[in-house]
Amino acid sequence: MTKAIHFLPDEKNHEATRLLPYVMAVMVYLSALALMGSMMLHKGFGDWTQSLSNRLTVQVTTADQETRETQVRQVMQLLRNTPGIEHVRKLNEVEIEQLLEPWLGAGNVTSDLPVPDILDVTVSRALKINLDALNAQISKISGNIHLDDHQQWLGRFLRLMDMVEYTALGILLLVVMATICMVIFGTKAGMAENRETIAIMHHLGAQDSMVARAYQNRFMVYGLKGGVIGLLLAFVTLISLIYLSRDLASGLVKVPELPMFEVGILLVVPIIAAAISMLTARITVMRDLRRMV
Amino acid sequence: MIHFDNIGMRYGMGSEVLKDISFNLKPGSLHFLTGPSGAGKTSLLKLMYLAQRPSRGKITMFNEDVTAAKRENLPKLRRRIGVVFQDFRLLDHLTAVENVALPLRISGGKGAEIEEHVEELLTWVGLKGRMKSRPPTLSGGEKQRVAIARAVIKRPDILLADEPTGNVDPAIAKRIMHLFVELNKLGTTTVIATHDMSLVEEIGSDRLHLQEGRLHMIRAGENVSNLPNLNEEKFDSLEFDSGKLDQNEFGPKPIAGDDML
Repeated sequence: MTKAIHFLPDEKNHEATRLLPYVMAVMVYLSALALMGSMMLHKGFGDWTQSLSNRLTVQVTTADQETRETQVRQVMQLLRNTPGIEHVRKLNEVEIEQLLEPWLGAGNVTSDLPVPDILDVTVSRALKINLDALNAQISKISGNIHLDDHQQWLGRFLRLMDMVEYTALGILLLVVMATICMVIFGTKAGMAENRETIAIMHHLGAQDSMVARAYQNRFMVYGLKGGVIGLLLAFVTLISLIYLSRDLASGLVKVPELPMFEVGILLVVPIIAAAISMLTARITVMRDLRRMV
Repeated sequence: MIHFDNIGMRYGMGSEVLKDISFNLKPGSLHFLTGPSGAGKTSLLKLMYLAQRPSRGKITMFNEDVTAAKRENLPKLRRRIGVVFQDFRLLDHLTAVENVALPLRISGGKGAEIEEHVEELLTWVGLKGRMKSRPPTLSGGEKQRVAIARAVIKRPDILLADEPTGNVDPAIAKRIMHLFVELNKLGTTTVIATHDMSLVEEIGSDRLHLQEGRLHMIRAGENVSNLPNLNEEKFDSLEFDSGKLDQNEFGPKPIAGDDML
């Protein structure tokens, strides 16, 4: 490996690249937000949809309470005898109130409010149930019994979430490409500023790799510096957003959390930024020097 | 050591600044390179310190065809050549010591060893009190001495100097020339471009004389004005074309105390 030789002017005198760490910080900030957003969506909604994917909900909406209770017993019997259904449970009044609270507010569910009976059904992941056949059998008990497998809206919701995730990853890719372009531009500007210095180094017998090493080390520091600043800002933003969403969520939507594993991945972002910056600078310098005598 | 064979050189699409240059400098020789401004002295030196490639012809240095040498092989050849540039070409943000130490660092020298060696040389050229100074704070003469120290610090096989005494007083000029002569005695092939004819006469070496891009050899003691037809640009009898290399080969000029050559 070529030994590093200090021959470039100090960073603070380097007009072309002096502000680069701050631009890098912005890039890393945007990358971290896009990455974190993507990961939180993936994890949060992944867990949620996973929990819904083996659940069915049955609503019995018959107005007459006695008839409704008979129909509930019949449908529970039917469900328990259906292969592939692991567990059937009727939600108690408190649970139903909790479900309605986000829409109606606490304590506003009165006894005269017509509320359906709800059955929570857990389906085996191993066995596939013929939902059409099950629905037909339920309809025989009463037309006021509705089976909801959540798939229709869940499918649309998942497609939307996928789109959001891909958009976040697309933004990340664009930011990485913009960072690479910026480093190329910065390196070329830095080389133009020090063209004479590089020529002198060549006359004294310096190899291209020696010159490249000086630039790659400098740009690695820029990447690391910008990476740390950008990541800190991203953390401040994320924590603020989570704090605010806790105030606003009030049960309607799941409160996002800062998952530890994903936070660990984010800590690597400054190192990746430094590596991208360093490699880009090296390749740029080596390619440019090849054009010299 | 340095062999030019029918070299022509032009910048871009311009006319040739060097024409049909052929000569051979033996190892350990010392030559002055003279000629009026714009005659091509700096271009010839650039070819010798491998900063330019010729437009045609072949240059052999250190027994290697440098015109065909791959780019990645040039650094190791350049490390064997010391150059004193007319405009010094020091790095303004480095101190005198750091500037002079560069060739040693590039060659992989060790820190403490380098410093000791560099300080010794800077003291020798009269810059003991200016070691930590940066070039912008040095006078023209001081810069020149730093540039000279940088060129000779590695005791190069070839030393090329472009007007090395142009900015120094006569006493320092003498001292610098003494250094060049001493290095030459130790085997360094030396080419000094200069306008200072008194210096040329005092040292008394052969001259490579350039006029309008063409090269002429002038033996020590000869005068340009005495050369036949020189001012009429009829230099055929003096040009060193490839077919006349033997008769135009420059050997080391015997100089006083030249018993090491």
